[in-house]
Amino acid sequence: MADFSLFVLATAGIYTIFSLGLLVQFGIAGLPNFGNGAFMAVSGYAMAIGIVKLGLPMIIAAPLAMVAAVLFGLLLAIPTIRLRSDYLAIATVAAGEIVRYLALNLEGLTGGAAGTVNLLGPGQAADYNFEWLRLQNWMQDGISHLFHVRAKPDLAFCCIIWPVALILLAIVDAMVRSPWGRVLRAIREDQEAATALGKDVFRCKLQAFSLGAALAGLAGLFLAWQVSTFTPDDFKPTITFYAFVIVILGGKTNVWAVPIGSLLFTIIFSGTRFLGFWPLSLFSSGDKAFLRLILVGLALVVLVIFRPQGIFGNPREDAVET
Amino acid sequence: MPLKPSDAILSAKGVSKRFKGLRALNDVSLEVQRSSITALIGPNGAGKTTLFNILSGFIRPDHGSVTFEGLSLDRLPPHRRARIGLVRTFQIPRVFGRLTVLENMLLADPNQPGERFFGCFYLRGAMRRREREERDEAMELLSLLNIDRLANDYAGTLSGGQRKLVELGRVLMIRPTMIMLDEPMAGVNPALGLRLLERVEYLRRERGLTFLFVEHDMEVVMRVSDRVVVLDEGTLIADGSARAIRTNERVIDAYLGRSKNSAAVVRR
Repeated sequence: MADFSLFVLATAGIYTIFSLGLLVQFGIAGLPNFGNGAFMAVSGYAMAIGIVKLGLPMIIAAPLAMVAAVLFGLLLAIPTIRLRSDYLAIATVAAGEIVRYLALNLEGLTGGAAGTVNLLGPGQAADYNFEWLRLQNWMQDGISHLFHVRAKPDLAFCCIIWPVALILLAIVDAMVRSPWGRVLRAIREDQEAATALGKDVFRCKLQAFSLGAALAGLAGLFLAWQVSTFTPDDFKPTITFYAFVIVILGGKTNVWAVPIGSLLFTIIFSGTRFLGFWPLSLFSSGDKAFLRLILVGLALVVLVIFRPQGIFGNPREDAVET
Repeated sequence: MPLKPSDAILSAKGVSKRFKGLRALNDVSLEVQRSSITALIGPNGAGKTTLFNILSGFIRPDHGSVTFEGLSLDRLPPHRRARIGLVRTFQIPRVFGRLTVLENMLLADPNQPGERFFGCFYLRGAMRRREREERDEAMELLSLLNIDRLANDYAGTLSGGQRKLVELGRVLMIRPTMIMLDEPMAGVNPALGLRLLERVEYLRRERGLTFLFVEHDMEVVMRVSDRVVVLDEGTLIADGSARAIRTNERVIDAYLGRSKNSAAVVRR
């Protein structure tokens, strides 16, 4: 149980950083990015390739991977971000899938469907994670010594990701509340009116998009570190939908609702193992995997009907007609 | 009052625009004198809003050019036009619904360092100072427009007339040199409308602002404007003092139809 809680906490940390990026893009700036998973993929793969194929140290490969995610974001955003939001949504879904299919098919570069373990080709297991595990073990030993407990790897992971996540939450919160965030919210409401007031809508949207891409990129790194090997299918569009669920669950504009939404989501989503009671005991474990998706969907439907502003949203703000 | 013809703040030359065969504007040229109040009138569909959109840069003309303060605007995107002091409002007021009225006002600040990417960290002091100053300015404007008590309400909860006022206050926050108002009086109650007009005249007199406005209420047009420009079916058919326009047969024909009754309305 304790192990499981730590796993949930660690995963929620990844989702927090990931969804925080979406909150900036979608909740604040009104840019529905349905290809956010692709940014995780770009950065995860960039780091893995950098370490395995180019022999870069992690400390260099990781920031470069985030830069790659931002560059990919700009590549996607510059031609598409002027589109109306519904078209932007379609363009980003497509971009996300293109990245995944590229990763599946460019076997020489990415290891293909077998995942990063195949980065060096068949017969030679590739590992990008040794430096991370060294860091995580060091953390684990430190905690064990300090508190005289036997710390688990997941605890060490949490002790790294959550301080990072909290710092990022504080940074993004300050930005969202600043005049910069005010311009983004204005653009979300009416971009022509914002233009008429002298705001460079295109540039501001690019900034919001890039910030979201960088955060998704960082989340992609943590995902890669958590699992030690990953495949293109770890970045299916559903992962972006989960982030949407989290952002809507918490209340689209509330930064501090993101970690709570992430925790709730991860608990519901990973908690199917506790659904062993009747009548759920009638389902096989494979069916339960689908059941959790239904549960998440149901929770979202109930929420949207009874509390459309999200758990921590501002009902006053939501009542506004625009 | 006599105005030197050389002192045009804005001039448009030979502006034409077609929308899929529909001729919205046909070779329109006009000059707006500095510190004047110019009315742009014409029947519905005459091309007034199209002209506004071209002057403010929201749509590109097929032909023709626009200069403002001697500077060609032809390659200047709309947000840059606002930055150099040429601002506009919309016919149907466009407020930011999920921003408060005060936020709507503060947003218009053309010089807030905190709007830069990460500016709230590396320009923190300047950002706060500027925000304080602008808050005072905004509150002063809001009380002048008689909506200061709504400062902390979401703009989306305001009535149509109140939204017009927020829009006017907002463009004033940009400290423009020329304001284009698209039907500023529509939907505003008469008493408030009067205050609005007084404010426009005051801003022209005291700060030398230039106004170009679209308005259907002839009484208002005759009362405040130095000059009236008349558009009909995309063509500029008259340009002169309010007095001259009032008796211009072509305007009466085009603008109000040929009926003698409507002509009487104009002459009244």
